[in-house]
Amino acid sequence: MSQTPTEAAARRALLLNLSPWLFFVGLIILWELVCRVFSLPNYVLPAPTAIFSAFFDVEFSRWMMHLWATLRVALMGFALSIVVSIPLAIAMMRSEFLSRTLYPLLVVIQSTPVVAVAPLIIVMMGSDDPSRVLITCLLTFFPLVVSTATGINETPEELIELSRSLDAPTRRETWQIRIPYAIPHIFSGLKVAITLAIIGAVVAEFVAAEEGLGYFIQFSTSFFKIPQAFAGLFFLAGVSLLLFKSVQWTQQIFFAWSLPKKK
Amino acid sequence: MLKKASSVLAMVIAMSASGMAAAADEVTYQLDWLPGGDKAPVYTGIQQGFFAAEDLEVSIASGRGSTDAITKIATGQADIGSADIGALMAARAQDTVPVSAVYMIFNQGPHAFFSLSDSGINNFADIAGKKVATSPFTSSNAFLPLVLQANDMPADAVTLTKSDPGALGPMLVTGNTDAIIAWVTNIALFKQQAASAGKDINVIRWSDAGLSLYSSAVVASDKFLSERPDVAKRFMRAYDKSVRFTHENPEKAAADLHTMVPEVDAAVATAQIGDSMPLTFNEISEADGLGTMTPERIATTWKWVAEANELSVDSLDPETIVNRDFMPAAE
Repeated sequence: MSQTPTEAAARRALLLNLSPWLFFVGLIILWELVCRVFSLPNYVLPAPTAIFSAFFDVEFSRWMMHLWATLRVALMGFALSIVVSIPLAIAMMRSEFLSRTLYPLLVVIQSTPVVAVAPLIIVMMGSDDPSRVLITCLLTFFPLVVSTATGINETPEELIELSRSLDAPTRRETWQIRIPYAIPHIFSGLKVAITLAIIGAVVAEFVAAEEGLGYFIQFSTSFFKIPQAFAGLFFLAGVSLLLFKSVQWTQQIFFAWSLPKKK
Repeated sequence: MLKKASSVLAMVIAMSASGMAAAADEVTYQLDWLPGGDKAPVYTGIQQGFFAAEDLEVSIASGRGSTDAITKIATGQADIGSADIGALMAARAQDTVPVSAVYMIFNQGPHAFFSLSDSGINNFADIAGKKVATSPFTSSNAFLPLVLQANDMPADAVTLTKSDPGALGPMLVTGNTDAIIAWVTNIALFKQQAASAGKDINVIRWSDAGLSLYSSAVVASDKFLSERPDVAKRFMRAYDKSVRFTHENPEKAAADLHTMVPEVDAAVATAQIGDSMPLTFNEISEADGLGTMTPERIATTWKWVAEANELSVDSLDPETIVNRDFMPAAE
């Protein structure tokens, strides 16, 4: 009755695919058990079942309204940081002067806690979408600049030399050699940036907003509705995960060649 | 034919009516915190049509504390709103902030100690030597040493720990702390939390222990008051009406709030209105009139605020932050 090697391999592959889900479900069950066995009150740690029912206590249309508010800001901030970061990285790669002048400034911006700057941005720019988008962009652009710059610099020297020996203009060198080499790096930067975009939107909502998932969580806590706050948190985590996956899918569909070759 | 003409006529009337509505004066009202029962009047004013009756279109922006609200009003992001008058005094003493107080919402401070009813802490004197938890940014913290001293206790008579506002109730119920500092506007919420653990709470008001002062006020940007005085007057007339309506119809006001902000539970809002209305309607409002700011009490409030913020009493003439021209009764 021994299994054929291929069957065993198939089982192993299936288990590998299922393992994150099994682990997650196990964790939830453990959590529920801990809450029940120690009869923890909701305000200490709400049980998954309490969070689940809190989720359905909120109308679907309200969820969608809050989701749209957060998603809108996160995606606009993300888009803005792509538009800013990639050209900036290319410019910095081309010009020693720019690179030397701007890099320290970028590091300073990145090291300043956005949470501390956010209230000032709101005061200066008002409490509407533009200031929230800027806050998101401030949080997301740095990993993108760094990863793009790294990718561009890691282009094999011999290819650059080859292109120069063939008298290719700098524009072609950038677009046809350096950028394609940087694509895997850019995508790893994008993956970091998209999760930061959600965090940025939430930070902005904590400072000033009338809607959004971050606002919803803050609001729920202020009314001591802890299970509802947790429901918002899980929803937010789900959205973040989905966005991360979307970046991955984009790479798989449009830039499949840039992925590491499968064995 | 006639039918058609009359329907056209109806349409024209409807259109001109909506045109009139669009021409209503727009006012942005800035809250000093998130929507809740204690902020119900402005919501009910909109829902009951009090503002519309004055030809006003009011939009509401939520805030993150009194300083945040004052900043947003000062920078013109909002015209008028609610904020702690003490925060405004402290701001005006240190900087030229173009914001003035026009109407008193809470003529009494909301600060209090909350303890479990079986803790043995039943009045102010019992707090000496106890562990007390508070949230890091509440204005109550600055008043704590003063109210302790007013009751013949040293400023460090209690062991103070700071914690997230959301954690205070749980800390009290689980016995991590003997008492907490919170606002009486939230008594119902804390009672509800304690009840889920089969307990009840005592509320020890600082206003009964000597700390008697003005707190939440309607404050407006000076620009709004000087450039659109008529709008401001109409707004205050409708606001005053809304406050009275909220007092008389807490359930309706809570329902109006729930309509505009579905996340706020109507029953919880009703309880919050019940908790906060005594800060507005009490013996002070009966003696002085609703919303009134008397020079004497303004001066007393400033003395407390100056001391709490370690400012010299001479650094501000508290009367300069008050503008009484927009009191509805002054009409």
